[in-house]
Amino acid sequence: MSTSTASRLEHIIASGLIAAVGVWVAYTSYTQAPAEAFVFPRLVSTVFVVLALWTFGKACLGWSKVGAGLSGSMFLRMLPGLVIALIYIFWAAKGLGFYTATTIAFFILLSLYDPASHGTIRTWIKRLLITACFMVVMYGLFAKLLKVYTPREIFF
Amino acid sequence: MKKLLAGAAMALMAVTGTASADGHANYPERPIMMMVSYGAGGATDFQARIVTMTAGNEDALGMPIAILNKPGAGGRVGWNWLATQAEADGYTLGAYNIPHFIAQSIKGGVEYSAESFEPIANWGADPAVFVVGKDSEFNSMNDVVEFAKANPGKLTFSGAGLFVGHHIAALQLEKASGAKLAYIPNNKGGAGAMKAVIAGEVMGGVNNLSDAFRAREAGNVKILGVFDLERNDFLPDVPTLKEQGYEIDNASVNFRGVMVPKGTPQGIIDKLAATVPTMFENGRVAGKMKAGGSPMHIMTRDEVLEMWAAREETLKELLAGL
Amino acid sequence: MEFLAYMGDVFIPFNFLLLLIGTIGGLILGATPGLSPTMAVALLIPFTFQLEAAQGLILLGAAYTSTVAGGAVSAILLKIPGAPANIATTLDGHTMAKKGEGAKALQLSFLSSAVGGIFGVLLLIFLTPVLAKWALAFGPSHLFWLAILGVTVIGTLDSSSVVKGLLSGCIGLWLSTIGFDDIMGAQRFIFHPALGGGINIIAALIGLFAIPQVISMFAKGRVDSGAEVIEVKKHPIGSAFRALASHPRALGIGTAVGSVIGLIPGVGGQIAGLVAYDQSKKFSPERDKFGTGHSEGVIAAESANNAMVGPSLVPLLTLSIPGSPTAAVLLGGLLIHGIFPGSDLFDNHPDVAWTFINSMLIGQVLMCLFGLYVAGLAARVAQVPQSVMAAIVLALAVFGSYSVQSSMGDVYVMAALGTGMYFLERFGFSAAPLVLGLILGPIAEANFIQGSMIATATDGLAPYFLTGVLNLTLIVIVIASIFYSVWMELRARRYTNKEEMMT
Repeated sequence: MSTSTASRLEHIIASGLIAAVGVWVAYTSYTQAPAEAFVFPRLVSTVFVVLALWTFGKACLGWSKVGAGLSGSMFLRMLPGLVIALIYIFWAAKGLGFYTATTIAFFILLSLYDPASHGTIRTWIKRLLITACFMVVMYGLFAKLLKVYTPREIFF
Repeated sequence: MKKLLAGAAMALMAVTGTASADGHANYPERPIMMMVSYGAGGATDFQARIVTMTAGNEDALGMPIAILNKPGAGGRVGWNWLATQAEADGYTLGAYNIPHFIAQSIKGGVEYSAESFEPIANWGADPAVFVVGKDSEFNSMNDVVEFAKANPGKLTFSGAGLFVGHHIAALQLEKASGAKLAYIPNNKGGAGAMKAVIAGEVMGGVNNLSDAFRAREAGNVKILGVFDLERNDFLPDVPTLKEQGYEIDNASVNFRGVMVPKGTPQGIIDKLAATVPTMFENGRVAGKMKAGGSPMHIMTRDEVLEMWAAREETLKELLAGL
Repeated sequence: MEFLAYMGDVFIPFNFLLLLIGTIGGLILGATPGLSPTMAVALLIPFTFQLEAAQGLILLGAAYTSTVAGGAVSAILLKIPGAPANIATTLDGHTMAKKGEGAKALQLSFLSSAVGGIFGVLLLIFLTPVLAKWALAFGPSHLFWLAILGVTVIGTLDSSSVVKGLLSGCIGLWLSTIGFDDIMGAQRFIFHPALGGGINIIAALIGLFAIPQVISMFAKGRVDSGAEVIEVKKHPIGSAFRALASHPRALGIGTAVGSVIGLIPGVGGQIAGLVAYDQSKKFSPERDKFGTGHSEGVIAAESANNAMVGPSLVPLLTLSIPGSPTAAVLLGGLLIHGIFPGSDLFDNHPDVAWTFINSMLIGQVLMCLFGLYVAGLAARVAQVPQSVMAAIVLALAVFGSYSVQSSMGDVYVMAALGTGMYFLERFGFSAAPLVLGLILGPIAEANFIQGSMIATATDGLAPYFLTGVLNLTLIVIVIASIFYSVWMELRARRYTNKEEMMT
């Protein structure tokens, strides 16, 4: 496994959340009608809850060993990318159109995480070129070859 | 290049919202999508692909129709999508299966009813038939019913699901014969139900005429009866249920056709209703349908409206006790 | 030997051209995320309208075999399994690519695909009548036990903790129940309209495998790639053959499991790869190396998923029952030309039947040659800098999951599952058992319900599910599999405890 491991508190929070989902699933399965459509979900959710509570108990006792956990600095590094990715998926792709949104998101993400200098023109041109090439390939593949009907673009 | 320019112009028009007020004379201006609420390769999908293959011809719509599959839960997933999420701009069509979606809307738990859609035209009518394995001791419907009467609730027979044509046929058979039967819905549609019959998992089954015809050609099943008003051209030797003494009409016949979500501009509906039936009449379409063993039955929008209303009434009566 | 008589037809220039187009096109389509073999074959159907029956079938047959193999390319290079069949390939294949052994992984995957695939087609040619009986032998009760057998694999599959593996599997099983239930039509757990159609397995696959990887690239931040550049090792094709020959066990298990499981209608294709992977892990003396970029993992998974191609067509060709979604699409391709599979096909149109089967045989060879040729080049994908890679994989995931059924809902589901999976992975859960649960859930449920309906109408639940040779055999295997897992876990625990005491 990797060098860092998750702390006890992290394990408690993570397994606690899963246990909460498990309890909700079990509650829903046992209360929803018609009963005959929920036979299988009841069975699954029962095992789910038992295993989730077991894991939660282990975490509380500090017996959880597996998993690298999350460190604060990692979280900070991933946050901007994650936020842009989520805006891109949950809003921009439909709001701006697939190709427009992808071009913008691709370029921003590339610029954010590209280790090359942000100060020189040359690297910016390189990033623009990469974005353009990639979009040409995507358009050719999905729009022309596979004829996927994507939501309407706002600019064209 | 020309296509590209035309495409750009179209998109521009769409953005600026110039949905032409001149009765949609230019419709369609871009390719059309047709939702099929069953998986790729199923009978509905297969037929939908054939009947729309000439849509791009100049004497038809002049634009191709692309099939989009949204399978799940006996069609409920796709029709829910068409009723609630699809854009009613004339570029999203849907394939309907009667009595399936009407029966499901009567049963409840879905977000559509016959009022949620506007029919365009009907292309096919696939009656349900009763099949048994090739080595079965049953040779007529009377044999089947006699067994069921002697062993109430023990006659297992498969069909494509609950509240689809096969289930309706099963209910009618139960009602007309007075015997208690065990209908086993299959989650893999008609193909799964047919496999259950051939493998001997169940004693018989209700299935599509087109699939049963093929299975009989392959020497795997016997067909004992047709759930329709008259015998079918594909199976002239198979008597109807009515001929065998059971009061069963054509309520379970699987009518397939094209519809649009409610709210689609009237001009577009009129244009589609005028062109689509002629598109179905194309000789190449008829040839391919016949080759595939799929019975055609072309009906215009007015005829379909009438048929929908009639079906709704019979189904409400039949499903009242469930 | 009838198939040899029609072998010449495949090599008529026009037919051979179609075969080439089908193979190369199939590889490209298969490598595109979101495009399962079923969709790829459905996309090609309109082209066959214009062709003669035999020619159309050459195109479809070649495309089918090569899309299955093509899925390995994105699984290895991008960690996006193209279809459920390729899940097991990502486990070791992608790790190899990250170590710079992408060329080797791709070569091995194409070679073992070809070996498995050819074996599968030969089975189809010589044993069709026997296989047809075998395919029909699996009724609801047997399929239910088979799904349970799959569930027992969950705990040991690619997971460092059995409990967390099982919990991942349970989450997957629960996710599979979301949406309309298939038989009753009742709505279950639809707490967002995007879930109305249930969770699409392809979209889920893309999300669960690709998105965590994108986020972990983000988490590394703006690292200077100078220190990170992966040296893509050249790998001569000759040594790929030798590597394949030195793992006959994995190849044998993969091929055997793939051809046996592939035959079972409705189940086979999706789990063949995973079951073969798990079995060869259990039988391998180097089982600890699985998951760390071990050749055996790739060989077992890929030979299994291509071996299933031939047998999966048996129910269609002999009984006219499509055993898999892809077979259903192929059925459409035959019907359009007025050919009914079954005795009609082999008696009245032997040229179509045998040319089709031959094209799959030759297609395997072409696919392998072409794949080996581009493997070295394609492996360079591993050298693409992280920042570019993250953006590419993200965009491909969005386009891929959308293109499955032109649905934004699938994209949302993909992103939500993927983001959740990243955090779960940080705490020792893993995607493979979760996906297996997602696949097995509907199989177990539907067959249990159908079986119990038949059973209550006839001879009762217990005799229906617990008697019969096939049921008992499956139950014994299930119990053996559970005991084996428990035993392995206990043994592993003893070792780790000793280690812990020492530290």
